Amino acid sequence: MASDSFEKFETVDLFSDWDAKTQPIVNLINLKKWFPVSQQALLFSKVVANIKAVDGVNLFLNKGETLGLVGESGCGKSTTARVAVKLEEPTEGSVYFKGIDIFRPMTREEELAIKRQLQMVFQDPYSSLNPRRMILDIIKEPYDIHFPDMTYEEKESRVLEILAKVGLEDYHALRYPHEFSGGQRQRLGIARALAINPEVILLDEPVSALDVSVQAQILNLLHDLQIDFNLTFMFIAHDLSVIKHVSDRVAVMYLGKIMEMCPTGELFRRTAHPYSVSLLSAIPRPDPRIKMDRIILEGDVPSPIDPPTGCPFHPRCYKAQEICSQVTPQLELMDPNHYVSCHFPEK
Amino acid sequence: MDPILDVKNIYTYFYTESGIVEALDGVSFDVMPREPVGIVGESGCGKTVTAKSALRILDKNGRTISGEIIYKGVDLLKLPDMQMRRIRGKEIAMIFQDPMTSLNPIFRIEDQMTEVISLHRKCGKKEAKEIAIEMLDQVGIPDAEKRIIDYPHQFSGGMRQRILIARALSLQPSLLIADEPTTALDVTIQAQVLEIIKEMQKKLGLAMMLITHNLGVVAEITKRVHIFYGGRVVESGLTEDIFLNPKHPYTYALFESIPSLEVDKTRLETIPGMVPRLINPPKGCRFHPRCKFATEVCSRIRPPEIEFGRGRRVACHHFEELNLYIGKDVLREKTVQRDQVKEEV
Repeated sequence: MASDSFEKFETVDLFSDWDAKTQPIVNLINLKKWFPVSQQALLFSKVVANIKAVDGVNLFLNKGETLGLVGESGCGKSTTARVAVKLEEPTEGSVYFKGIDIFRPMTREEELAIKRQLQMVFQDPYSSLNPRRMILDIIKEPYDIHFPDMTYEEKESRVLEILAKVGLEDYHALRYPHEFSGGQRQRLGIARALAINPEVILLDEPVSALDVSVQAQILNLLHDLQIDFNLTFMFIAHDLSVIKHVSDRVAVMYLGKIMEMCPTGELFRRTAHPYSVSLLSAIPRPDPRIKMDRIILEGDVPSPIDPPTGCPFHPRCYKAQEICSQVTPQLELMDPNHYVSCHFPEK
Repeated sequence: MDPILDVKNIYTYFYTESGIVEALDGVSFDVMPREPVGIVGESGCGKTVTAKSALRILDKNGRTISGEIIYKGVDLLKLPDMQMRRIRGKEIAMIFQDPMTSLNPIFRIEDQMTEVISLHRKCGKKEAKEIAIEMLDQVGIPDAEKRIIDYPHQFSGGMRQRILIARALSLQPSLLIADEPTTALDVTIQAQVLEIIKEMQKKLGLAMMLITHNLGVVAEITKRVHIFYGGRVVESGLTEDIFLNPKHPYTYALFESIPSLEVDKTRLETIPGMVPRLINPPKGCRFHPRCKFATEVCSRIRPPEIEFGRGRRVACHHFEELNLYIGKDVLREKTVQRDQVKEEV
């Protein structure tokens, strides 16, 4: 069955103004997501602070590429992704998908039309599948929501088709999630995201819960699917060697902000931001011959409730000067395609 | 020199409702005094069970049914319980994977550390506190004197792991077992903790058993490695030799399946299938269903461990024939690629 047969179900034409050659497919502009911390005072609770999980992210995805988003835990990678697929409302800023602001007031049809093309795969393959539902029902659900007019037989045959695409068998459709291993569950998560033929998939740490030998299988599967379906990926991970393997461009995130964004090779050859430099040097290399001078960062990542003034990285930075604690550097173009937010980038 | 820990042919089984889990199936390896040794393998291959068998802290349904674990000339498996207690912590200390759950949340760090110290080193509370503060200071807890009265939740993950290291080392053990000590930590924090482990190991002349699945961490810290698969040791030898020239098909595939920062690969080599369940493990060589070099003999007969070179051991029927193919391939590819990278820079 041809995958373009979905077109007969399209009801709204939203993206006619969008030009794939000149415009990014997903564009995050000054995106902020703050979570309020409230305290109970007598009857009413009042907001005493904000966790600034995402604090002014500028980021874009071009059609057909893989953007790797890397950073340590708590830096806001997952929150960024959740806002970008409209699972959370942003506090400030906007998300454009094919030139449409996805948070503008819109009809149900328009909203579905966007979500149909923008899907997400979650990190934990154990908690992202409902244990009480059969695989057939789990993967069929996107069709129930997006294509209610489709016949049951057609949905079923599409589920089997998609299972085959991710390397599972027909009989798996009648099983329950607990009967699958971690790697197979991650395949199911991918199948569910892929079911309605989206253009963009946000992958939130899709391989971090897996063993290395299984991780390689999933990475290869994603690579094949990207070519088969002409997909655009945003790949979130904390493992830089995985990021290097999968992505065309990389964005490095720290405390809710993008520190550096550039083509993957560039990040490893001409690292510009001191945080990226330290991050790269901290990775233990699986080769006993490599002896490297390591930049070991002092201390921990500061709390996002009360981030440092100026550049969020300045208290741990080896190049920090007075200006870094006063003026927040903006994400600026240093070389073609190489964005850095630092007052004193490495040349 | 005699090894400080000599594990000889141990079998550890778990008795569960769904059957007998053959978690360790004839595992032998040794650790020399003052030597950092790596135990490497994927989840469920028996790394942690080995450590727990040695300390005799297996879950209730598990039992080591045969074999010997010789520590400083004494078989730990035959030791009476009272004497075993003096070994745990005092002689062999262990750091567990999860720094969040290894400390009791309702006691101050001071109490959790001095209890252990005064018990094993037979000293008063005041002296114990001094030792504790000194240890915390050594592992890089700032303001150790003030912070010792804090509770675990007031410390970050990296700091908690440091506290656990300090507590384990405060008893001056001869052997430290570190079970995935940095797996729960971020890379920059991992680098800090690895640095401390390395430093303390050298300073105190500790023998160390580092259990991990992270090949980078192993390459950095250990001198010798034992590769585990499905409850058996498939290959052991010097870290250098194994990393540059893996001989067992599993070790080779493991290295090929990790994405590398040095070499650009468009596709990763994969190991088909998944880690075997040990309730009804494959007959013969446990890797044979996933091995691309497997022949009929592999599915029938358990491969013997062949020894050669600098203390190298490989358990594979076809190691002789594969010798050339596997070894050369990896070496050549890696060297060529690295030279290319250098030229570009």
